[in-house]
Amino acid sequence: MNHNEAKDILLLYRPGTADVADPQIAEALALAQRDAELARWFGEHCARQEVLRAKLRQIPVPAGLKEQIVSEQAARRKDFDWRRLPALAAVAAAVVVAFVLITPWLQSLKSDNTLAVYQNRMVGTALRTYVMDLATNNSGSIRAYLGQNHAPADYVLPAPLEKVAVTGCAIESWQGMKVSMICFSTGKPLAPGEQGDLWLFVVDRAAVKNTPSAGPPQLARVNQLMTAVWTQGDKLYLLGTLGNEQTLRRYL
Amino acid sequence: MADGVDFEGLVTCHYQPLYQFAFSLTRDEADACDLTQQTFCIWAAKGHQLRDETKVKTWLFTTLHREFLGARRKQVRFPHVELEQAAAELPVVSPTPLHQLDNAQVLAALAHLDEIYRAPVALFYLQDYSYLEIAGILEVPIGTVKSRLARGLDRLHQLLTGGSAIGSSAPQTDL
Repeated sequence: MNHNEAKDILLLYRPGTADVADPQIAEALALAQRDAELARWFGEHCARQEVLRAKLRQIPVPAGLKEQIVSEQAARRKDFDWRRLPALAAVAAAVVVAFVLITPWLQSLKSDNTLAVYQNRMVGTALRTYVMDLATNNSGSIRAYLGQNHAPADYVLPAPLEKVAVTGCAIESWQGMKVSMICFSTGKPLAPGEQGDLWLFVVDRAAVKNTPSAGPPQLARVNQLMTAVWTQGDKLYLLGTLGNEQTLRRYL
Repeated sequence: MADGVDFEGLVTCHYQPLYQFAFSLTRDEADACDLTQQTFCIWAAKGHQLRDETKVKTWLFTTLHREFLGARRKQVRFPHVELEQAAAELPVVSPTPLHQLDNAQVLAALAHLDEIYRAPVALFYLQDYSYLEIAGILEVPIGTVKSRLARGLDRLHQLLTGGSAIGSSAPQTDL
């Protein structure tokens, strides 16, 4: 290493730092101890380094910068509001649990399309305060309305039932299929708000499991209604009334 | 992971040297504040990805420098000025001994360095970083750091004293 090479190396030397551990710098420093001219230059250089380092480290830092950084970060965190995280997690968990619980229930609903369930559902409809989609005493109008709305309209009524006055109809839903609900009035006084006392439900036979094979109607009490169920063609018929079995048989 | 690093404690430890580095790069207080703040914001968002807590300081300086370069690319607010073109704007020169210069003059001289020299020179003086650490922060090879430092220090000396090069022959190209 010559004089100039040592200068170039010592140019990057900072007194009091780990630079002295660099082998090249150590060699250059050793040379400076033997070279008077290099030693003089090195002394001046070290003084310059000290001055420059001191001057640069005097760069004033604006008052409040630290607080500004910390407060802005706090504000950003607040925007998200981590305190709500537990609540959000709880809601998410509840949704997952509800989904897990409801899914099998929905599936069971879909698969639970047996005759018993169908009977209960339709009886419940009749017993509740329902709204007729069409209020009329004209049976032709009822068939027309049901046909226009793609509900079963080509139903066949037992001869006694043909003679009972209709009051209107509604369209119900069962497993995605439409059910025609025809309301009759047997002539007995109706309670206020009631629009019939005899109801016939007609649905596609394939929509219900365990339907009876062709034959005489099967009578059974379901809830408060006496019901009769039978099949004819591709239709399932359910007739219900508030009366007893004898009353119902008059219309079959 | 650096998850456990306390944010306020981290700011307390590093905001001053970071600001000084930012100011030496931008020579503008507002820009330096923005850079410093942005650096800590990035830490808050991504600092947890740092696996070695001992590298936090280096990470912060690297991030600040990246942000400076990114902003510089977008804004071109700090026009490149050749030394010859800047001669008329240079601070007081040779008659004034170095130790009599105020830090504004030193900063003005630093600001007149080409950008590629300014960052290593600032880190060299401000933080006593080793060349290897400076190379890591600036994401350049260590040879390039030494080359840039040699030229940067030489030019800084010329700017401050109006004198000749302080090295025997400052390197002319990056390694």
